[in-house]
Amino acid sequence: MNLLSVRREVGEFKKRYKWMALFVIVTMTIIMGRLFQLQILQNDRWMVEAEKNITKVVRLPATRGIIRDHKGRVVAQNRPSYNVYVTPSLLGDEQLSAIGELLSLDADQKQRFVRRMENVPARRRSHFVLAFNDITRDQYAAIETHRRELPGVNVVATPVRAYPFKTLGAHTIGFLNEVSADDLKRLTGLGYGAGHSVGRSGIERAWESYLRGKDGELRVVVDVQGQELDGSPHRVAQRAVREEPVPGLDLRLTLDMDMMRAAERAFRGHPSGGVAVVDIKTGRVRALYSKPGYDLNEMGGGLSPMRAKEILENPFRPLIDKTTYETYFPGSTFKPISAIAALQDGIMTSSVEYKCPGYYELGKRRFRCSHVHGDVDMRDAITQSCNVYFYKLAEQVGIDRLALYAREFGLGQKTGVGINTEASGFVPTRDWYAKNHNNRYHLGFTLNTAIGQGDTRVTLIQLAMMYAAIASGGALYVPQLVERVEQADGVTVEEFPPRVRRHINVDPAHIALIKEGLLGVVNDREGTAYDARVQGGVMVAGKTGTAEVSKHKLNPRDDPRREWYYRRAHSWFAGFAPADNPELAIAVIVEHGGQGGKYAAPIATQVLQDALGGGDPNKNKPLLISKKP
Amino acid sequence: MPLRRGFQDHFDWPLFVTTAAISVVGVINLYSASSAAGGALRDLYIQQIYWLMLGAGAAVLVAAVDYRHFERYGWVAYGIGITLLVLVFLLAREIRGSQRWIPIGSFSLQPSELMKLFFIVALAKHLHNDPRTEGRTLKDLIIPGLILVFPLMLILAQPDLGTALILVFVFATIMVLTHLKLRSLVTLVVSLAASAPMAWAYLLKDYQRERVTSFLDPEKDILDSGWHAYQAKVAIGSGGLTGKGFLQGTQNQHKFLPDQHSDFPFPVWAEEHGFIGAVVLIMLYLVLVLWGLKIASEAKDRFGAVVAVGVSALIFWQAVINLGMVCGLLPVVGITLPLFSYGGSSVLTIMAGIGLLMNISMRRFHF
Repeated sequence: MNLLSVRREVGEFKKRYKWMALFVIVTMTIIMGRLFQLQILQNDRWMVEAEKNITKVVRLPATRGIIRDHKGRVVAQNRPSYNVYVTPSLLGDEQLSAIGELLSLDADQKQRFVRRMENVPARRRSHFVLAFNDITRDQYAAIETHRRELPGVNVVATPVRAYPFKTLGAHTIGFLNEVSADDLKRLTGLGYGAGHSVGRSGIERAWESYLRGKDGELRVVVDVQGQELDGSPHRVAQRAVREEPVPGLDLRLTLDMDMMRAAERAFRGHPSGGVAVVDIKTGRVRALYSKPGYDLNEMGGGLSPMRAKEILENPFRPLIDKTTYETYFPGSTFKPISAIAALQDGIMTSSVEYKCPGYYELGKRRFRCSHVHGDVDMRDAITQSCNVYFYKLAEQVGIDRLALYAREFGLGQKTGVGINTEASGFVPTRDWYAKNHNNRYHLGFTLNTAIGQGDTRVTLIQLAMMYAAIASGGALYVPQLVERVEQADGVTVEEFPPRVRRHINVDPAHIALIKEGLLGVVNDREGTAYDARVQGGVMVAGKTGTAEVSKHKLNPRDDPRREWYYRRAHSWFAGFAPADNPELAIAVIVEHGGQGGKYAAPIATQVLQDALGGGDPNKNKPLLISKKP
Repeated sequence: MPLRRGFQDHFDWPLFVTTAAISVVGVINLYSASSAAGGALRDLYIQQIYWLMLGAGAAVLVAAVDYRHFERYGWVAYGIGITLLVLVFLLAREIRGSQRWIPIGSFSLQPSELMKLFFIVALAKHLHNDPRTEGRTLKDLIIPGLILVFPLMLILAQPDLGTALILVFVFATIMVLTHLKLRSLVTLVVSLAASAPMAWAYLLKDYQRERVTSFLDPEKDILDSGWHAYQAKVAIGSGGLTGKGFLQGTQNQHKFLPDQHSDFPFPVWAEEHGFIGAVVLIMLYLVLVLWGLKIASEAKDRFGAVVAVGVSALIFWQAVINLGMVCGLLPVVGITLPLFSYGGSSVLTIMAGIGLLMNISMRRFHF
């Protein structure tokens, strides 16, 4: 083999090297370009990803503010709930069954737990997963003693809400539960996350931003399995960062739980209704009671489907707040407005008497009265609740003037109580009737309006505020539920002084006359609530009402045997006490209770007696029939 | 003594320096990669040093003997390689669903690695003895094809898709060196393209197909088959320009990178030393491969040229496929980064290959 021939043999390859070199350079350049893209252009994004990989964030929930009543009794507080969190990637079969053992689960629960852990998706396996909620102290102790053998198990004490008064005041105080996916969309940017709770009703909802506080968080550095690596051998991990939670603010309510208790007691024997008690001089709400309620402690989650169904299908509608959300015909409790409308505009004087034959004829229609009252003046008409008198009055006053005064006293508008969904009620006018009744207004509408039937609708809280305004001589307040906001150490952060909505311009003489009539209702032998008076007790003035229920449409779900109940009128009483120097105004409704004087009035007098007179004045007196020794 | 003079006068310093640089950097990087793992893997970098030293010894031996002797024993080497591959099926234990290693004492040998070199040598011998001046036709590819097919089938049966792939790429590169007629080339390309779907359906295992699909749609399943590729990207990308510092890579230290020592050592490097470090390393490979091609172009006979191209191609393709895979340009296949990844057989093979390059380089003046 000589040199030349060797050269020629290699010649076949010669021209390829250049291209190969070029190919190598291009390929390597592409890879460097890709690295440039990843490391320089997209660096920020990957830094974030890398950081996310090694940080596990543990929420440190803020303690929610405590709610106290007017006298400082706790109505909503926090208790620890021990929740078991597990890191599934660290748990083998052995540990899973050990956990079941420690928590003394039965076979079925154990199986369900194991299945749940198996179903945790891969990407969550290295994170904390909530395994059990609110375990007992014994279970907690069992887990705690075996901590060392269970590296993937953590028990975290989370504060949950506790309501010592249970059902009492449920609608007003309200409850929390876990945020849903929809809520999270609505509440973006406010720091809510899955598993957080949010106020759902009542004070808890309306004052959420005060009560909630600010969650803290603990950022721990972890490895791929979720194991904590505080101080890794090569200082890669920063130390765990802890941001302390800021506790929520406490609320001091205007409610007096004693008065709530009194309302509850007085309501025994009636399945459904509500009571509102308001401080006349401040508009502060002392009691806001809606029956039936529900135990707030079971509403925070974990309400069994059966129990939920029970609540939803209860014919007395426990979920409805009958003090602010439900509206009713005011019935005769509206009559003071009619009287003031007549007096104030000089249309009538109080001394005018009308004869009540027990009915009133308008064209072919006959409007009934409760019975034959004979000759009555305005005072008697209020005391005895004579419809005929007010029909005659209405003819002269007219519907629009009635509406005007009704609105003056706050009907047809929201009171601004600020919780739940407040209904505004309704006050009809001539225009409204014209529009809604084929342009055929007739006088009958006016007559019905004057006695609180027809189309006027009020809420319980509106009526209480209205009677407070009458009692105070014209000051219409905004009902107030929260007196002040306090820090955990008791320092007042914010105080809410009483707010007058408006001063109604009424002649004091007219007010005096109305009050006299209202006093007669309870204290005259002729009065409609005479039987409800508390002998020797606080002097109560007020007005009964028997609001007829218009053509109750029987819900197909309802039992037809209950129809007699639904057809029965709502029983009203609204008033104030003590009559000579009023302090508290009250409104009571007993749904489908019947006559106001018979059912609602005794509740009102009892509550007022408890609140102002220190309970039953006859408690220590001997019974009439007592055996002498 | 001619050999001594040759070593002094013609020693290929650039080849030596780049090889040494990659090896040293690789050991440093392995130290970081294994420090996170703990336990038995902790001392991996020390074992790698032993392997490198053993490899260097092998390289010296290979470089010392005139490579034309290897040409003479080309078929013997090929035979040994095939025998070892057959032995794998008799002796190897199954690890992660495949049989690749023959246990020898406390070590294990991976014959498929050694086969790469034996294959190159055999192919070179064939081409050396088959000089052409006119273009080659498909008929001329039959023998080279057979040389490829036997080891390929044995390796695919293990199964070891990565090594098989490298064998095919090296083969293709060497064949590009020869002058194939245009018509034959077109026929070849078309028939290969036509058989690709068949290969997809019958040749690949489920997990391999999954890797390809997860590469094509990485967001689909970040957590299972796409996990490795994704975490490698996070490591590389978060390295930035200058990196997080030696032993400071969180992806590495917190074990988010799977197989840091074998398949994914580059992300460890890129995370801790950034774009600059990564480019330096790639430059080293680039220089090494280009230098290998230069050696090939200056080789005085066909055997030397083919072997030099083959070894360069081996290094090039392994590097490119590994780098492409870790930075998300290619699907994940188990191919190691030459001299950078941990692995005794691999280090021995590459070092012996470098020895061959050195041999060819030094003897270009000899005849």
